[in-house]
Amino acid sequence: MRDIKNTRRFVNISMLMRIVGWLLMIEAAFMLIPLVTSIIYEEDDFTPFLFTVLVTFAAGESMTTLIKPRSKVMGKREGFLLTASVWVVFSFFGMIPFLIGRPQLNVSEAFFESMAGFTTTGASIINNIDNLSHGINIWRCLMQWIGGMGIILFTLAVLPALNSSSGVHMFNAEVTGITHDKLRPRVSSTAKQLWGIYLSLTVVLIYLLYLGPMDLFESICHAMSTMSTGGFSTRDGSIGAWNSLYVKSVITIFMFFGGMNFALIYRLAMGQGRTVVKNEIFRDYLLVIFASTALLMIVLVASPGHLLDRHDLIDPLFQTVSTLTSTGFLVTNFEHWGPFAMMLMIVLMFCGACAGSTTGGAKLDRVITAWKFLRNEIYRSIHPNIIKGVSISGKVLPADVVTKAIAFLGMYLCIIVIGALMLTALGLPFFDSVFSSFSCTGNTGLGAGITGYGGSYDMVSNTGKWILSGLMLTGRLEIFTVLTILTPAFWKR
Amino acid sequence: MRIVIAGAGDVGLHLAKLLSKEEQDIVLIDKDQRKLENLDANYNLMTLIGSPTSFSAIKESGAAHADLFIAVTPFETSNITACSIARYLGAKSTVARIDNYEFMTPKPLEFFKTIGVNHTIYPEYLAAQEIKESLKHTWVRHWFELHNGQIFLLGVKVGSTAKFIGQQLKEITRQNHFFHVSGIRRRYETIIPRGDDYIRENDILYLTATRDQLEQIRELCGKTAHKVKKVMIMGGSRIAVRLIDLASDDYRFKIIEMDPARCRWLADRVPTNVTIVQGDARDNDVLIDAGIEDTDAYISLTDSSEANILACLTAKEFGVKKTVAEVENIQFVSEAEALNIGTIINKKLLCSARIFQLLLDVDDSTSKCLALPDAEVAQIEVKPGSRILGKQVKDMRLSRDMTLAGLVRDGKGQLVSGTTQFQPGDQVVVFCLEGSLNQIEKLFS
Repeated sequence: MRDIKNTRRFVNISMLMRIVGWLLMIEAAFMLIPLVTSIIYEEDDFTPFLFTVLVTFAAGESMTTLIKPRSKVMGKREGFLLTASVWVVFSFFGMIPFLIGRPQLNVSEAFFESMAGFTTTGASIINNIDNLSHGINIWRCLMQWIGGMGIILFTLAVLPALNSSSGVHMFNAEVTGITHDKLRPRVSSTAKQLWGIYLSLTVVLIYLLYLGPMDLFESICHAMSTMSTGGFSTRDGSIGAWNSLYVKSVITIFMFFGGMNFALIYRLAMGQGRTVVKNEIFRDYLLVIFASTALLMIVLVASPGHLLDRHDLIDPLFQTVSTLTSTGFLVTNFEHWGPFAMMLMIVLMFCGACAGSTTGGAKLDRVITAWKFLRNEIYRSIHPNIIKGVSISGKVLPADVVTKAIAFLGMYLCIIVIGALMLTALGLPFFDSVFSSFSCTGNTGLGAGITGYGGSYDMVSNTGKWILSGLMLTGRLEIFTVLTILTPAFWKR
Repeated sequence: MRIVIAGAGDVGLHLAKLLSKEEQDIVLIDKDQRKLENLDANYNLMTLIGSPTSFSAIKESGAAHADLFIAVTPFETSNITACSIARYLGAKSTVARIDNYEFMTPKPLEFFKTIGVNHTIYPEYLAAQEIKESLKHTWVRHWFELHNGQIFLLGVKVGSTAKFIGQQLKEITRQNHFFHVSGIRRRYETIIPRGDDYIRENDILYLTATRDQLEQIRELCGKTAHKVKKVMIMGGSRIAVRLIDLASDDYRFKIIEMDPARCRWLADRVPTNVTIVQGDARDNDVLIDAGIEDTDAYISLTDSSEANILACLTAKEFGVKKTVAEVENIQFVSEAEALNIGTIINKKLLCSARIFQLLLDVDDSTSKCLALPDAEVAQIEVKPGSRILGKQVKDMRLSRDMTLAGLVRDGKGQLVSGTTQFQPGDQVVVFCLEGSLNQIEKLFS
């Protein structure tokens, strides 16, 4: 009864703005980390960071105190709208250090860089990373780390006010996968568990990297960009710069974790190893990695004029995991691996790792669902009277879940094609357009550079950068969240 | 608290939504994925697809760590099995919905405890009890005797004859009327009033009072009490049968039922002093034939909330003084209340009130609970060391969503005022709005 009165209002913009305000204050708190870093290293970008923190905080503070929403109820619409707008707003404030700080990027470049950070794409337009300050470096990696597990998810964990139905709508709009697994009955405890796992894995990784050749600062940066399967590095040469088997192996393992469904990692931590081993998606995840590694190894060894060295042992595995989990770290001489390897990367990029992880791509769960559905259809053309369900881990999926997965794949391809179409219209060569469209929608961020076009994404025109930023956001929020907002039906009462 | 609910029927869904708003950890189990889908996407709770009597499903729901396991599928035996399994797995307490009066008696209850069913919930019985009370006290909407009649909670509609319309609550107190106005239901919401709130016509007041104040209240409200003897029931439902079992000695019942087969079944089932009429109670001729004009009370208990509401209005036209309608659709409850239908019965609300009681860990032998669409009344014992001790009520800075209405100390009922200080062992009557269960828990722990 009271409910009727409160929910029958159209999009509750004022409450939405207020929550965005809270979120901005959280972002401001995160920005203190690069600020402190620049103090520690006594760098000259202390002022830009201070300015960013103050602006972000002031914006957040004024939005929360000046806006007085009449109703606190947030429905599905607000959930979608809030989630999508938060990512954009975060990127806008997150780009300020790139604008006024030392990199001196223009607005398109800075927004692209910042969006690539938050969506864990890891596509960069900065060419000489070696010259970046420590503050900028840690901010780039921190953006990925926040975006990896999800901005909204973090908020749900820390803001008790969202531990309600509104929070559930936001959770559904951000979390990836066909169905949204809840670990615990309350959405805030689910969020806390997920962030807990994420944080502890990151800490372990920092320690392990620190044991190797990296110093503490680099360990922290790489741990954050690895766990979030983002792919920013602090060196121009990326991971290859250390030329260390140890670093590559450790990072491979943790990229692998980053690509696992976090609900499974939770189970693993709870000592339910059996359910994890029995999980079909997890097995397929291993299988895909194994098959692709084997193929790459053959290609690598068989390529003419190739000199064997010890890195051949890890490079194919590293590259497979890095691409499949949408991290986008690149081995040093990938451009010599030939066209087959390149095509394989595109396929992996499309697949992505498990749903419910920090990775991008269309997600293995959907690909497997569609694959099984197609297999059934082919079987049915021989035996038309046979009825077969699509089952995963022994459970038959309801028909509408299968439909949704297939619709998603179709839409995903459409988005990539449209993206590529727009890029070619801007005069980008065919292959680069397709490749960067794939790479950005899948949040992988493998540079256009590997196709031999230019150095990195800075060759794309400013308009192109905005298009790619849009693709990254659409890909990160798994299409539906962004597309529903763009439909007229969303705005009709 | 972690609560597992098995069965997403009407009652299960209502409980899940309500308790999730009360900030409890809810897991809901049902076989039918379609029933759960919508709930999972829109409410802050977890759902699990599986049979409520499946060992593995109950295990997966985390029943082992659950504080309460509620089985409310339509089938009694499934509920008992589910509770038994949950209790075996380690649930702290279990409650099963039953459909058999025998199971409410001490011996079977003892037995059920041994197989893991700690509590039972019998909505039809609760409904029958409430109807029985309302027949005894025709001038009130709700009548709750707490602690053996030491303290009363009444729901009274303010008619045009009431003497305090337009007065502020503090004025009423100044006139030496010391009953406690715990809540006011006005239009579609319930409010907890304060001294400067006015009483308006058509409000439903929830008053806490001791026995000697009851007559005074009745006079103030301008109501007269009627003696009920002849009762007509529309629809021979399970509640009707339960009611007749409870009260056939005190009243002369007449049941109007449409289905001939059901009529024959009723004839076998009910005592001989109950008259059974086969016919459509929506037909005025049938009603007149059955003697509606000299009926004292009319109770409509069919499956259709709409038919019940309209039938009661018709009965009022015929001059019946007291009407009771079963309204299962919660949205309709407040509409029906506004329409001058005496007492509204809703099984879901009764169930949720009972569950509240269990959650607050109340000894169910003495206490009762009242359920309104967005408020609850509970009677809670003050335990030694709880936060409520050592302070006067006015210094407790209570949330505005709740009020402490009365208390029973050493077997004597008294009302709570600003200067009351509680002692361990007091039974306190709490009137609270939806969503404040947590605060009550904190206060009494």
